[in-house]
Amino acid sequence: MPPADTESPGTGATASSAAAAAAAVKLTALTPFKPELYDRAWQSIPHPTLPLIATAHEKSTTVFSLSTLTSHSTLSGGHTRSVRSVAWKPNLSPHKLCLVSGSFDSTAGLWRWEEEKKATGDDLEVEITAANNDNSSDKDDADEKDWEFALVLEGHDSEIKSVAFSPSGNYLATCSRDKSVWIWEDVGVNEDDDEWETVAVLNEHDGDVKAVAWCPDFGDSRGGKGRYSSDVLASASYDDTVRIWREDGDGEWVCVAVLEGHGGTVWGLQWEPKPEGTRFPRLLTWSADQTLRLWTLKEDDDEEEEAPRHAFGGLGGIPNTMRRSLKEEWECTATLPKAHTRDVYSASWSADSSRIASTGSDGVIAVYGEEAAPEAAEGAETSHAEASVELDGDVQMGGSGDDAGKTKSASPSTTWKVLGTTDYGHGPFEINHVTWCKRYDMECAPERRGVEEMLVTTGDDGVVRPWQVL
Amino acid sequence: MDNKDNANPTILTASELPTRQIKKRKTFASDADAKFADAVSRRPLFLSDPFCDVSWSDGTESEDDFVEEPIDEQEIYDLISNITDPEHPISLGQLAVVNLPDVEITPPPSANSDPHALRRVLVKVTPTITHCSLATVLGLGVRVRLEQALPPNYRVDVVIKEGSHSQDDQVNKQLADKERVAAALENDTLKGVLDKMLETCA
Repeated sequence: MPPADTESPGTGATASSAAAAAAAVKLTALTPFKPELYDRAWQSIPHPTLPLIATAHEKSTTVFSLSTLTSHSTLSGGHTRSVRSVAWKPNLSPHKLCLVSGSFDSTAGLWRWEEEKKATGDDLEVEITAANNDNSSDKDDADEKDWEFALVLEGHDSEIKSVAFSPSGNYLATCSRDKSVWIWEDVGVNEDDDEWETVAVLNEHDGDVKAVAWCPDFGDSRGGKGRYSSDVLASASYDDTVRIWREDGDGEWVCVAVLEGHGGTVWGLQWEPKPEGTRFPRLLTWSADQTLRLWTLKEDDDEEEEAPRHAFGGLGGIPNTMRRSLKEEWECTATLPKAHTRDVYSASWSADSSRIASTGSDGVIAVYGEEAAPEAAEGAETSHAEASVELDGDVQMGGSGDDAGKTKSASPSTTWKVLGTTDYGHGPFEINHVTWCKRYDMECAPERRGVEEMLVTTGDDGVVRPWQVL
Repeated sequence: MDNKDNANPTILTASELPTRQIKKRKTFASDADAKFADAVSRRPLFLSDPFCDVSWSDGTESEDDFVEEPIDEQEIYDLISNITDPEHPISLGQLAVVNLPDVEITPPPSANSDPHALRRVLVKVTPTITHCSLATVLGLGVRVRLEQALPPNYRVDVVIKEGSHSQDDQVNKQLADKERVAAALENDTLKGVLDKMLETCA
């Protein structure tokens, strides 16, 4: 069944009343990656810098080249059950690849790929392109030799659902049906020395932990206030909540916030890739309740000076800074317009365009854009009033009453709109994953390669499909 | 356990379990209700006829009909009524764990709509006892059976019928969780139980 491009009925009305600040988006299916995988594929994760994308499916991971849209290599033999999640280790030299796979067999595997030949000035990208120009069948065998199953991380009691590297690559977070999040630290003396230590086991969720995500590093200490290290981890759970974790000065990882509001399993989450100014990034979450939500940290610029105004000031003997460091206040500041009729399994927030794409059980791929809300929104058109009602009605975090006005003035008022939807993205099948990534394929104009963004979806049909976004 | 006039053990065992439930209901139900209940319990008996077991399989006649004739509730029921209970050698239809009125297709199959459009199949299962620890396994069997037998545009939702089980929400949430279902199928013990349940459906 060819994917049909259709606008959802609700979208059209909203778009026509908008000031066309966010242009409508149309998705055009490109040729799927070859070979197709035929069985359920869970997710496809683009390499942070190289034209590669790794797809978790069955008991293995297949790496595709974004240049040739064909298989680059396969990581198999390391797991006894399905690989659910993969993550690329960041900040490696261009001739090295390192990938972690999280599996239903309750282990995570660390894999390394090293270019055998002495570097001759060609970078990996060129090598990959050359290697794939002839689609000979014995190519895979040759490549598989290059992936080494370097290390197995054991500790979880049941299926690992998600794995994620911290921005520096020094920490790895894994999470599982056993309700825990584990943080592992790279303690090897150099990159090739694979020694990882468990530095924390976080047990506060009441259900499976479905996903973990590290806050990107913006090169400053925003939000840290000097009390915590810069690494911030968020976890999404079957218990319908999201938790935010930070490391205090003593190497202890503590839960600093519980985000409540979703009415079903929270399937995943992503930090805002490009926050405005020096604001702390927002957090995007998506759920079995068919919605996507945005959460914002309440930032008090003046809190150091005004510390005693807090109730904690009355707690004798305990230093203020310690008491206040225990919790952060987060609130749900937006619910994206409804575009799905079943579980939202995946979403992706582009650092380039700031657009969000989402997909799920209904096979719909939706793209959303954020735009400034008109200044004189009050008493204006109905559509604006409805939009703001939607926003206000979904504030779920407690204790926001008195500060609501203040928070609003600090954060510019915006609304999210559906820019376009595509039904039946993978025919009748469910879509498990969507991600933005750069185009490097031959159909893309040479000057646009590595610049133009596309979407890649991964489905129950084992198809990994790139989409041109127009 | 054997009953003296038990000519066909399968049928007799089948007649026993539904009857026990009816008796329980009878304490506060009228005779008319009992008659209705009788009728209900007779239908699964009919289906349990050993000869029917063969012809009720989905594969034979339906192949060509998929496109032209939409799948209706009866067909869904037929796909799952022969699943064997994990504890007893009795079908879920006979045990009235699955019942035709508790199968719902949206949009309804009668509509002359696009055969490729997404359809939701909602099955409410009624575990035999309220604290049935096997409710999840029952539901899983139904979900797996339907997902394997139905075309990919069918979305299968299996829930515990309201009031029939003390931990409905927990069980429902598990059954709705695609990731958990996928993982369960890779669990050899559970897979063994499921295969045994579905053996009678082939």
